[in-house]
Amino acid sequence: MKKIQKLLQNDHWIMPFLRQQKSGLFWSIFLSFMTTFAAGALMFVSGFLISRSAQHPENILIIYVPIVLTRAFGIARPVFRYAQRLVSHNWVLRIVSKTRRRLYESVASTAGSIRGRMQTGDILSLLADDLDRLQNLYLRTLFPLGAGIMLYIFVSIGFGVVNWRFMLWWFFILAIILIVIPLLSLKWNYNGVRRQKALQNQLYTEATDAILGLQDWVLSGRQADLVSRQGKVMSELADVKNKGMKFGWWRDFIIQMLVLLLTITTLIWAGNQFANDRDLVNYIAAFTLAIFPLVDSFVGVNQGVSEASFYEDSITRLNQLPVVKKIESAPIPTNTTVKFDKVTFAYDDKTIIDHLDLTIPTGEKIALLGRSGAGKTTILKLLAGDIKPYQGEVTIGGQSVSQLQPKMSELVAVLDQQAYLFDSTILNNVRMGNIHASDEAVAAAIKQAGLQPLIDALPEGYHTQMREAGARFSGGEQQRFALARILLQAAPIVVLDEPTVSLDPKTEHDVLTQIFSVLQDRTIIWVTHHLTGIENVDKVYFLEAGKFVLSGKPSLLRDESERFKQLLLMDQY
Amino acid sequence: MLNRLILQHAINNKMIDKRLFAVPGIIKILVTLVVLTGLQAFTILFQGIFLAKIIVALWEGTDFISVVSQVVVFAIAFLLRQLLVVFKNSLMAHFSDQAVESYRVQLLAKYAEIGPSVITKSGTGNAVTTLGVGLDNVKNYFQLLLIKVFDLGIIPWLILLYIFFLKWEQGLFLLLIFPVVILFFIILGLAAQSKADAEFANFKNLNNRFVDALRGLPTLKQLGLSQSYGAEIYNISEDYRKTTMRTLRIAITSTFALDFFTTLSIAIVAVFLGFDLMNGKMTLLPALSILVLAPEYFLPLRNFADDYHATLNGKNALTDVLTVIDMPSVPDQELLTLPSWQQDSELNLADVAFSYDTLPTLTNINVTAKGYQKIAIVGESGSGKSTLLKLLGGFLQPNAGSVIVNGQSLPHLTQKSWQQQFFYMPQSPYIFHASLRDNIKFYTPNTDDVTVESAITRAGLSPLVDDLPDGLDTIIGESGRQLSGGQAQRVALARMLLDSKRKVLLFDEPTAHLDIETEVELKQTMAPILANHLVFFATHRLHWLDQMDFVLVMANGEIVETGEPKALLADENSALNHLRHELYRGKLA
Repeated sequence: MKKIQKLLQNDHWIMPFLRQQKSGLFWSIFLSFMTTFAAGALMFVSGFLISRSAQHPENILIIYVPIVLTRAFGIARPVFRYAQRLVSHNWVLRIVSKTRRRLYESVASTAGSIRGRMQTGDILSLLADDLDRLQNLYLRTLFPLGAGIMLYIFVSIGFGVVNWRFMLWWFFILAIILIVIPLLSLKWNYNGVRRQKALQNQLYTEATDAILGLQDWVLSGRQADLVSRQGKVMSELADVKNKGMKFGWWRDFIIQMLVLLLTITTLIWAGNQFANDRDLVNYIAAFTLAIFPLVDSFVGVNQGVSEASFYEDSITRLNQLPVVKKIESAPIPTNTTVKFDKVTFAYDDKTIIDHLDLTIPTGEKIALLGRSGAGKTTILKLLAGDIKPYQGEVTIGGQSVSQLQPKMSELVAVLDQQAYLFDSTILNNVRMGNIHASDEAVAAAIKQAGLQPLIDALPEGYHTQMREAGARFSGGEQQRFALARILLQAAPIVVLDEPTVSLDPKTEHDVLTQIFSVLQDRTIIWVTHHLTGIENVDKVYFLEAGKFVLSGKPSLLRDESERFKQLLLMDQY
Repeated sequence: MLNRLILQHAINNKMIDKRLFAVPGIIKILVTLVVLTGLQAFTILFQGIFLAKIIVALWEGTDFISVVSQVVVFAIAFLLRQLLVVFKNSLMAHFSDQAVESYRVQLLAKYAEIGPSVITKSGTGNAVTTLGVGLDNVKNYFQLLLIKVFDLGIIPWLILLYIFFLKWEQGLFLLLIFPVVILFFIILGLAAQSKADAEFANFKNLNNRFVDALRGLPTLKQLGLSQSYGAEIYNISEDYRKTTMRTLRIAITSTFALDFFTTLSIAIVAVFLGFDLMNGKMTLLPALSILVLAPEYFLPLRNFADDYHATLNGKNALTDVLTVIDMPSVPDQELLTLPSWQQDSELNLADVAFSYDTLPTLTNINVTAKGYQKIAIVGESGSGKSTLLKLLGGFLQPNAGSVIVNGQSLPHLTQKSWQQQFFYMPQSPYIFHASLRDNIKFYTPNTDDVTVESAITRAGLSPLVDDLPDGLDTIIGESGRQLSGGQAQRVALARMLLDSKRKVLLFDEPTAHLDIETEVELKQTMAPILANHLVFFATHRLHWLDQMDFVLVMANGEIVETGEPKALLADENSALNHLRHELYRGKLA
């Protein structure tokens, strides 16, 4: 409970939006209140109407007002409900749009440009789920709670007009239903809900292990183990959920018992209050019948509130996102020499880059080789400014990369393992390299990347849709489109992060040849996992435990280094 | 008899899935549910009648003391009604747990039977969802749906019967309005559905654009567009809102119709009762009873409509689950009897052909493998290397030709006994979310630690073990510590080393995506393991040929050349040399 209080105090994701969008919030809650009010009023007036009619009034005009009101409330309830649902959904979706933009901006401000896809992908899908959950927080918890409280106040005042002592009694019972029970169920359900969430995650892991590891389960003959292992989590989850449900059923049962108490006491009170008066006696039916629709809406509040702890993680995660800060860039240097000056980088006390020196003059092409974990990706991240060195400095033209951050894309272009293509036309995708480029310039870049034959073969040419993640084209074609984009981007330094790792040897060779021929005048820093195409570079660097252990011109290394020779033999058996 | 009728009625109206009746024990559960719901209908009736009686008595000026006995009946009916709600929920919770458990076991068994090749085709993501969230949705479906259907099938009609008995005109009105309500609900529901269908492409498009922008974020960052894309995100989101509201407006109208007719009916009933009372055509008690019972008459219908869309999710999930369970399985899996593969064992593929979906088509495949031969399968990508290996592993079945093991002719190699003989090493071995020890012991769970240690040393995993915070007990796999490609291969090698009974090894491009230095080291580790095994090694990394004593060269789904690697390499015109030139066009000058 305290956790939730603390959460709301430090929140800057929910409350600011609520404050900004007050009128929509008010109408959503007000209409929700009016819906329940009309439902109660319908039964109240009908009860009065038939009781009064049973007294055989001489003039039909006496029951004229109740008749009109009965019909009016009969129509008003569905109309209010209709309006409430439209207004609230529209309001929630509007909030979601705004939250989404803010979410995106916040994530974008910290996203890395090197190997960022895996992590950001996971984080973002998680956050997208959180947005969905927020919608439920508004629709299922906040609105019913707001309307419930409004109704509570209204009913209390309503009774207060008739009899203030009986009002206190209602006030007391409703407080139990509307405040005490929700708070208690939030508290009692808290651990169960947490356990349920943990088990649901575990179930997902187990299901992944079952499906992706299926071949191993089958070949090892351990199908029975698979069934029992996955079953354990599933039945535990079922237990926890059943406990939660059981709690909910008995909670609703107790609420209904309070309703019963309220009904009987109201009957006693009404019997006393209105007895022996020919006019007032008709209110007995009115008051009693109105109880049921009113109390119904309070049950909804209970459900909504006990679900509240489901949202806790979502709100926490959103609030942990960084606040976007604007940084001014230093002027873009004209000299584009890349320099690593005694750079050290450590992660978790483990040194990954160790006092590394590296100078790459403008136009030089280098290849970086090394085992996974040797620090190749870290070097690229340091260059792109995704991470900051622990010691030493990375500079371009003498200017520290951290100061060049906002304008980095004018200096460094990246072609990575699987260049991302957006679900738009070919023209739009390539133009992302330089949004001010003319159609002719885009076409020229596409041609340079060796894609002219492909474009000519497409019925819609440049206006062909890429489909999601460029699914329409082969791996080699996708990399060529990304290459065209880089050609337009015209950054003097190009980082190639294993751009051909997922291609077959033949395509790999063709794509590499194309890359090096069109990027002749640029600086190239190429991370590669084997020696195919190594003849294209001026210098090779072998990285081991954060240091260069071997470097030099490929043709010289071939003659001088045993190790290089051995590796070359592997690639060219 | 009545139970039967109600059931039949529910099925005919498609409120219940016929497939539910395949669940064991369901009939008993449903009969119990019918009895409980029937009881509940009576409690509702009594609750209403006695409430009306009490109010009328008080209205007539009777003392509260004199109506206490009626209050007690009212209270008991009320209490029983609520207790029955809890009982019914518990009953169905218990039942749906059982049903889902039985589905789960069947589902896993079927997945294990059809194997990864078929699953990959329909999407591994789908399979994981079906097994996890899907079954959970099915459970909710069972839990929610049946109770609501039976409430709707029983409660309103008992109430209506009583109202007919009190005043048939009102009964008739309520009876006639019922189909009207349902009709409007369905018509508008269909309109909403068709609107949603019409907007579906739009929805999908908007959703894709959003996901697209998020997934492409690193690229946007590289291109310097990430900041300005926020406005685009907002626009997409607002488009999404407008589309959603267009659909919701109609969907909500459908509930509005239901709401409107039921609420207005109650108002109309009240007004007509008022007139009848004034004219002296009836007395207060029956009139009030009808008024109290009218909302109860419509309540089950409302409840049913409220969760209607939630149940659709469950229904779709059930369809997914049953589709998998009903998939045909591979016949004749236990034909082969092969205690163990030995020096003198022999495997033949005779005129085998295969074609399926997008996989490369294989034709005229003839292969003979004897004893502990080491056979390389080489060729360009798309030539059919992997497909041939999958046929050898029995993950796929040939369309024609036959497989002969030690003289025994078989339709395919999907044989239980064959699966105990070989070890399969894919490009990326799967690492389970478990400790490193359990991952290594996966094929031989009963191995002791000493043996595990020796396998670790031989597989070259010692540096990794030293590096892990909890050594062998460190949790690895997707949500634990992630291993690099080379490390995952070594874990698979260690698994292989522990299981000395398996004498056949199948390798599918095990080092293609590794960095070259790791490849060199891994090759040194692997070479001694290959001895005394029958090896099939599919690869385009031709340096492996120095470890092999036979090679199958593949092109366009056929074996175009076979022989000893040395002899073929010596022949300038061999298909193998042709392949070498294709693969290594850009040589270092």
